[in-house]
Amino acid sequence: MAKFNTRKLVITSAMTALTVVMAVTPLGYLPWFGGASLVIIHIPTILAAVLEGPIAGTIVGLAFGLSSMIKAATAPVGPLDFIFANPVISVLPRLLIAVCAWGVYKLFRNKFLPLAAFSAGLAGSIANTVFVLFALWAVAAEEMAAIMQLASSALPAMLLGIALSNGIIEALTAAFFTSAVLIALKGLDSYKKRSRLAKEK
Amino acid sequence: MKKLEFAALVSIGRYIKRDSVIHKLGAKAKYLWLFALMLAASLSKYPAVLLFTLALALIFLKLSKIGMSFVFRGMLALLPFFLIAALFQVIITLPGDNSRVLVSVAKLSLTLKELLAIAMMGLRFVLIMVSLSLFTSVTTERETASGVEELLAPLRRFGFPARAMALTVALAFRFIPIIANELETLAKAQAVRGADFGTASHNPIRKIRAYLPLIVPLSIRTIERAEALSEAMEARGYGSGPYTRYTNNVSGKLDRILSILAVVFMVLTFSIPASLVLLRL
Repeated sequence: MAKFNTRKLVITSAMTALTVVMAVTPLGYLPWFGGASLVIIHIPTILAAVLEGPIAGTIVGLAFGLSSMIKAATAPVGPLDFIFANPVISVLPRLLIAVCAWGVYKLFRNKFLPLAAFSAGLAGSIANTVFVLFALWAVAAEEMAAIMQLASSALPAMLLGIALSNGIIEALTAAFFTSAVLIALKGLDSYKKRSRLAKEK
Repeated sequence: MKKLEFAALVSIGRYIKRDSVIHKLGAKAKYLWLFALMLAASLSKYPAVLLFTLALALIFLKLSKIGMSFVFRGMLALLPFFLIAALFQVIITLPGDNSRVLVSVAKLSLTLKELLAIAMMGLRFVLIMVSLSLFTSVTTERETASGVEELLAPLRRFGFPARAMALTVALAFRFIPIIANELETLAKAQAVRGADFGTASHNPIRKIRAYLPLIVPLSIRTIERAEALSEAMEARGYGSGPYTRYTNNVSGKLDRILSILAVVFMVLTFSIPASLVLLRL
């Protein structure tokens, strides 16, 4: 096991706390049209993975999973929520976000930071969507079909629909926020901004 | 402005103070029983196991003096969704279902298998709810953190940083109110400048643009705060010597017995039904 140094430890707990705050305020699930919401609560998980590595990210992912489980069991807002009280669906898939985000970030890290951050956000968010939907299909297919008023055979198609519609927008949102935070953090001004300031002088 | 007061919303772990045997248990025993009950609730396929687990959970609830009504009030909110799910279980015929029809109205029929499926779903649901709310109402924040350390202590032999994990959890709890306050400040500052967070705009790009001045500074300030804290900790010698503690948790006899019982329960939940199946073969 890698050395768990002070900085890694404290940033992990800060991101965990940010996840919890996002879970209990409307910030983590931005209301969108219908009953759907734009989920951005996995951004701290991706940030921890990118900044401090996969172990830190997985711990934050665990907090995300646990928070969504407790939220589903104690303060449900929709019919799907009580399926999420099952840890196999709410916790297990969230542990895999960090590894995906970190792997992709590592792949591009040495090339161009904004691109690496953007693709890490994309990968983390897609991992979240795909693994959660997969867990739903694998564990709770019958309950899902019952709630959605669908035959079990139509379920994979519907899940794919969710993955394509909500998932893509969510992934782009996460990618955008992740890169915005990382660029600001690493002090990288975009070329355009700098040139305009130069002209103003 | 009332809508922006996020700090008041944060009340994690509604700990309810009572003088009971369950409250006095060590954090480790509480965690182990939470895992044992949740595992049985979410994975076991046998109604008898679920019923037995529920009986155990209810005994703990009784011993904790929390009061049934507190736990079941939370469940009431979920009841309509559960009923809808149960109804659709009746409408949809399970594949290969040729068990006895119990009731049939017009085209709908409730078969034995469907009834069993509904009952199992209900049992699981009640069990998960009871165990989760029981755990959060008898465990303080400090115990939640120290329990992590006690649980992971055996792994320390393999170089696993159990202490560091416990500190991570404890620090996270400390950070929550700070971040919530920060968020409130930022949201108010943006609102003063004319930001509109509650609009019904459905355009995702506009939504992102509205929240960008909130999320980005919040994340950055959180990370900066964490960096400052880690430097302060290192300056005070964190990680430079052996770990010591201000207070020591002494685990009593009851703690140890109950911890062992929880592990035994976890093993038995899965081994007894499996061995019964094997014996029949």
